Amino acid sequence: MDYVISILPSMFLGWLLTMKIFAVTLFSLPLGVILGIARVSKFKPLAWIMEIYVWVFRGTPLLLQLLFWYFGLMAVGFRIERETAVYLAFILNYAAYLAEIFRSGIQSIDKGQYEAADVLGLSRRQTMTQIILPQVFKRVLPPIGNEVINLVKDTALVYIIAISELSRVARIRAVTDDTLIPFVIAAIFYLIMTAVVQRFFKWVEARMDYYH
Amino acid sequence: MYMLQATDIYKKFGHLEVLLGVSLQVKPGEVIAIIGPSGSGKSTFLRCLNRLETIDSGTIEIAGEIMAQNGSDGRAVYSDEKTITRLRRRMGMVFQDFNLFPHKTVLENLMLAPVQVKQVPPHEAEKTAQNLLAKVGLSQKANNFPFELSGGQQQRVAIARALALDPDIMCFDEPTSALDPELTGEVLRVMRDLALEHMTMIVVTHEIGFAREVANRVIFMDEGLIVEQGTAEDVLLNPQQERTKSFLSTVLMAR
Repeated sequence: MDYVISILPSMFLGWLLTMKIFAVTLFSLPLGVILGIARVSKFKPLAWIMEIYVWVFRGTPLLLQLLFWYFGLMAVGFRIERETAVYLAFILNYAAYLAEIFRSGIQSIDKGQYEAADVLGLSRRQTMTQIILPQVFKRVLPPIGNEVINLVKDTALVYIIAISELSRVARIRAVTDDTLIPFVIAAIFYLIMTAVVQRFFKWVEARMDYYH
Repeated sequence: MYMLQATDIYKKFGHLEVLLGVSLQVKPGEVIAIIGPSGSGKSTFLRCLNRLETIDSGTIEIAGEIMAQNGSDGRAVYSDEKTITRLRRRMGMVFQDFNLFPHKTVLENLMLAPVQVKQVPPHEAEKTAQNLLAKVGLSQKANNFPFELSGGQQQRVAIARALALDPDIMCFDEPTSALDPELTGEVLRVMRDLALEHMTMIVVTHEIGFAREVANRVIFMDEGLIVEQGTAEDVLLNPQQERTKSFLSTVLMAR
């Protein structure tokens, strides 16, 4: 028990960094909405660019993308902060997944909704913001919840560029102190985080349940 | 002057020819029922009138203003977006599947377009909406969501929503086809009331009874053409064309 308390402060610092990466990556949500809309754009070149974007960022390991943004850019003479590389990698990667979710959500809306909006004279923008997207958000909540849970755990990947978030702190302590206890504590931290995320999405889903 | 004039409308979906030169003139206050077997092109024709589908060739005029006409190459050219938007606003559309906005209350469904498109002040739009709901017998449901209503009630809301923009012409695309038989009556009653107020109406329908009772003119379409038209009595009780006769006997037999 004394040992657990002795390592808690450093684990807590690692957790703060994990939370920071998690929070900053949530910017991929609005980005995903925009990219998802672009993906179904009637302007074909834009839709194609989005398709390639999704293919590249969803089709390669996040770990490789992290290495690319940090070491890859460094190799060609662009030095960026480690944390900046992390945010770039995570936001761009998650935005690709989320764009696909929003795209499928947008396409799942019955075409009668577009036609009804159309004959009522709503512009394309009004149709999107007032009719389509509100219904899309409700529909995509479960898959978005999945992605956000994944994100909690994916933050552990940044150890690869030597950022001391929760899992790296645990590993270092485990090796130096020759014990598995730090891993157990890290697991508990992750479980608490995912539980909070789960509860949050359950709450939002319940709030959105006022219509079918 | 005609309220709506469509001349020689042609429309293909890929290689499938759906409309092969359909013409229709509608006078103000006229109620027109378009009947015909499925695949006859009657719904497509209706959808062409307010550009839910674009025509390949032909002319469409609304209240004397041109929405589309043939260019020099014989293909239809549409007027500019502003004109089209203005003309479309004169037409209300009611769909087979209602297409109410599920995330908005009945009242919000009715207020949305007036407020957003016509910039009517909200309190005024609400008053109009309440009046229209009273008219279709659904004042009690103003704050309900569409999923809480029966199909017949939803369709009545959809009619009220179209009326909220104060259209000159109401188009109905098989408005009772998605309803349980016992719910069609309430929708037809609302439509009958509209006809009594001399609303110009074009109704694509399978309801022969409704056509007979309410329509000034019945049009029978088959395979992309108008086969026969005339008063309800002429077309429905005394059809001249073989195809009309066989269609009517199938429909009436099914009852």
